[in-house]
Amino acid sequence: MREEVAEAALDLIQVEYEILPAFFDPMQAMKPDAFSIHPGGNIAGGKPIVLERGSVEEGFAQAERTFEGTYTTQVHCAAGMEPRVALAQWDGDFLTVWKSSRGIHMLDRPALARGLGIPAQQVRVICPAMGGGFGSKDETRMGTLTALLARKCGKPVRMEYTRQEEFVAGRTRHPSITHLKVGIGRNGEITAIHARTIMSKGAYMSSGSAVIRRCGQGALYLYQTPNAKFEGTLVYTNVPPAGSYRALGAPQGQFALEVHMDKIAEALGLNPLEFRRRHHVKPEGQPGRRLTPPGELVSDQPVEGGIPFSSNRLSECVRLGSRAMGWQRRWRPPNSSPGPKKRGLGMALGLYRGGLAQKAGAEVEARLDGSVEIRVGTIDVGEGAFTTLLQIGAEALEIEPARVTILGGDTATTPEAPVTSGSSTTFSMGTAVQQAAATLKERILDRVCAQLGADRENVKWNKGAIQMNRPTKKTVAWKQALALLSPEERRVRLAIQPGSTEFVINSFAAHFAEVEVDTETGKVAVVKYVAAHDSGRIVNPAAAQNQVEGGVMQMLGYALTEELLVDPKTGIPLNGNFLEHKVPVIVDLPPLKTIFVNAPDPAGPFGAKALGEPPSIPVAPAISNAIYNAIGIRFQDLPITPGKILDQLPLKGRG
Amino acid sequence: MKIKKRWKVFFLINGKRRSLTIEPHWTLLEVLRDQLGLTGTKKGCDRAECGSCTVLLEREPVYSCQVLAVQARGQRITTIEGLTRNGKLHPVQQSFIDHDGVQCGFCTPGFVLTASAFLDRTRRPTPDQVKQALSGNICRCNAYVKIIESVLSASKRGKRIRD
Repeated sequence: MREEVAEAALDLIQVEYEILPAFFDPMQAMKPDAFSIHPGGNIAGGKPIVLERGSVEEGFAQAERTFEGTYTTQVHCAAGMEPRVALAQWDGDFLTVWKSSRGIHMLDRPALARGLGIPAQQVRVICPAMGGGFGSKDETRMGTLTALLARKCGKPVRMEYTRQEEFVAGRTRHPSITHLKVGIGRNGEITAIHARTIMSKGAYMSSGSAVIRRCGQGALYLYQTPNAKFEGTLVYTNVPPAGSYRALGAPQGQFALEVHMDKIAEALGLNPLEFRRRHHVKPEGQPGRRLTPPGELVSDQPVEGGIPFSSNRLSECVRLGSRAMGWQRRWRPPNSSPGPKKRGLGMALGLYRGGLAQKAGAEVEARLDGSVEIRVGTIDVGEGAFTTLLQIGAEALEIEPARVTILGGDTATTPEAPVTSGSSTTFSMGTAVQQAAATLKERILDRVCAQLGADRENVKWNKGAIQMNRPTKKTVAWKQALALLSPEERRVRLAIQPGSTEFVINSFAAHFAEVEVDTETGKVAVVKYVAAHDSGRIVNPAAAQNQVEGGVMQMLGYALTEELLVDPKTGIPLNGNFLEHKVPVIVDLPPLKTIFVNAPDPAGPFGAKALGEPPSIPVAPAISNAIYNAIGIRFQDLPITPGKILDQLPLKGRG
Repeated sequence: MKIKKRWKVFFLINGKRRSLTIEPHWTLLEVLRDQLGLTGTKKGCDRAECGSCTVLLEREPVYSCQVLAVQARGQRITTIEGLTRNGKLHPVQQSFIDHDGVQCGFCTPGFVLTASAFLDRTRRPTPDQVKQALSGNICRCNAYVKIIESVLSASKRGKRIRD
């Protein structure tokens, strides 16, 4: 059946609507007497999440000066190039669903089994490839809807979003309002950081609780202080529903924090670089006492102090990044360039989780023809995870990568694996693949030694071939060695629990931007951008650079142009398309330099840490701070459009 | 006036003559994907914004979502499936692989075809010329740095495309 027939049929459905009160502004929706969108009021969970280390009350009592500010961010759409799609087919009681997904094992399969009332063993979910997800394609509803329709009509059913639906009914980045209060003591130390964020959710929860939690991590952990508190309130509204989008709430929270810290640095008479160098969190972590019992896994989004990082090269990020930008030599006080085009430098730091994840399984099988297949239940969402995992498997087996293939994205052929989320794939799945491959290598060595009557000390592994030195010199070729193992022995399937009981595992970044603000048009040109990252050892340099370059560029759109406008009277989105949402295109690309500290992390597979989301975090504050440095005006509301800039300029005198 | 409901047409797709019956309102994109199974041509927006559906019509890049299939009858069409010759990748394809000019890959067919037509006309482009030539294609992964590297490197291979 053609799409146009389905559309004509949809037009025949008559819907009667009961008109209820609706809220497009979270401040209205959260009033105690407001009409409830869901039973139980419009504050999700009934109350804000509150996380505190030490006591901010005591911290502010010790402060000599306090600084307060409010920061707001917009609705932002992920808008992957491929609109989301699902196709369901029944074969008797067995269901197969092909769909856009970032969690076939942990999200789609259980949701389908629950929704349709069938055992999970009768559900197969396949996501062979993703046309860009950026975290947003984690809903399970399209699978359930197509499965129900397919059951009803006895034929396979496919459902696909149009581009407009992708903008409106896909999941957006939560808009936010953050109020920050920071106390500074007599010696310039930070005595307390208190952040309160309100996010508008739309009418559905989606991944909101994870989003608001991640929003607080910057305030709780990026700067050294004994007292930090985050209060996050998720409010149900009737705007397009928000959900997961690259780094969840971190870009919103750290935009507020990093613009605020810039203001404090200036008030204290310190260069923004120097202030951050003094106060950012160091390898030993936050002051305070560990609360996690010994031997238990440490959170990678901790609140407590007293736990060191597995590695923290933020100082190197700052040093290398500022040097590449020429910061020391080129930084001038705000509004010092003559104009009408004024240049300025800005910077921002970022930290992000990436060590803990759900149990991660992997399977590695060597075949008699000498090929090796790695099977993982995760999905390559476009970031190149499969290449990276393949490299890790080949490295652990110490064989040529060309011999190895990787299979993923199918619940029928792969072991259970976590959702592709939280930038955790390299760390969690990489560890699983590394251990499975290493186990296989040990098995092969053991078997060959037994066959030859050799001791393990007297054999050498050389790209899969095994060389015996004593008692006689002999080489067993890779394929010969494999032939000694049974089919079961040639296959290793294992699962690991990613994480650390001793360390906080985080990734770090320092970004530096140079902008040119045209004070006659309000237009901002990014003239130079430097992104310095600590993501441990870089496994695949080209893919890693691509992640940083792509993340920075995507968030330059967030900083300067992109926004889904929602009619404040009707809640109807006004610009659900690429053109008017103003996504960056290739001509907007600034000269962009990526720096990796590239120092191995002791906990990660071959020293690797998280990378996918961190590049998106420091971009908007670095740009806002650079605009301030250029024209002396603070922008605390994203995106910083030419209109907003022109509105502010007359007050300060143009040119 | 009577509107013809069905058209018997042929196209020269990737060097092969393909005859089929189409309806007058079908776009070239729909015919390529749904009638001919050439799914390398992607539907990203269906409204001339993203360039994922780019194909070459008489060697010129067009958004196939904006071309009615009847308009293209009898003409030479190159899709991404037709860029490989005798199992050998086109220099632009090879260059996108060598330089990692890809993240999720959804926009890649459109970028590769646009770039191949551009390099046919422009032998030694500057980075700015490459940017201008590709400004009608969107990559939401924003792999633009590596896309530009890929196209510049392909231009140095100095090979032109011919049907």
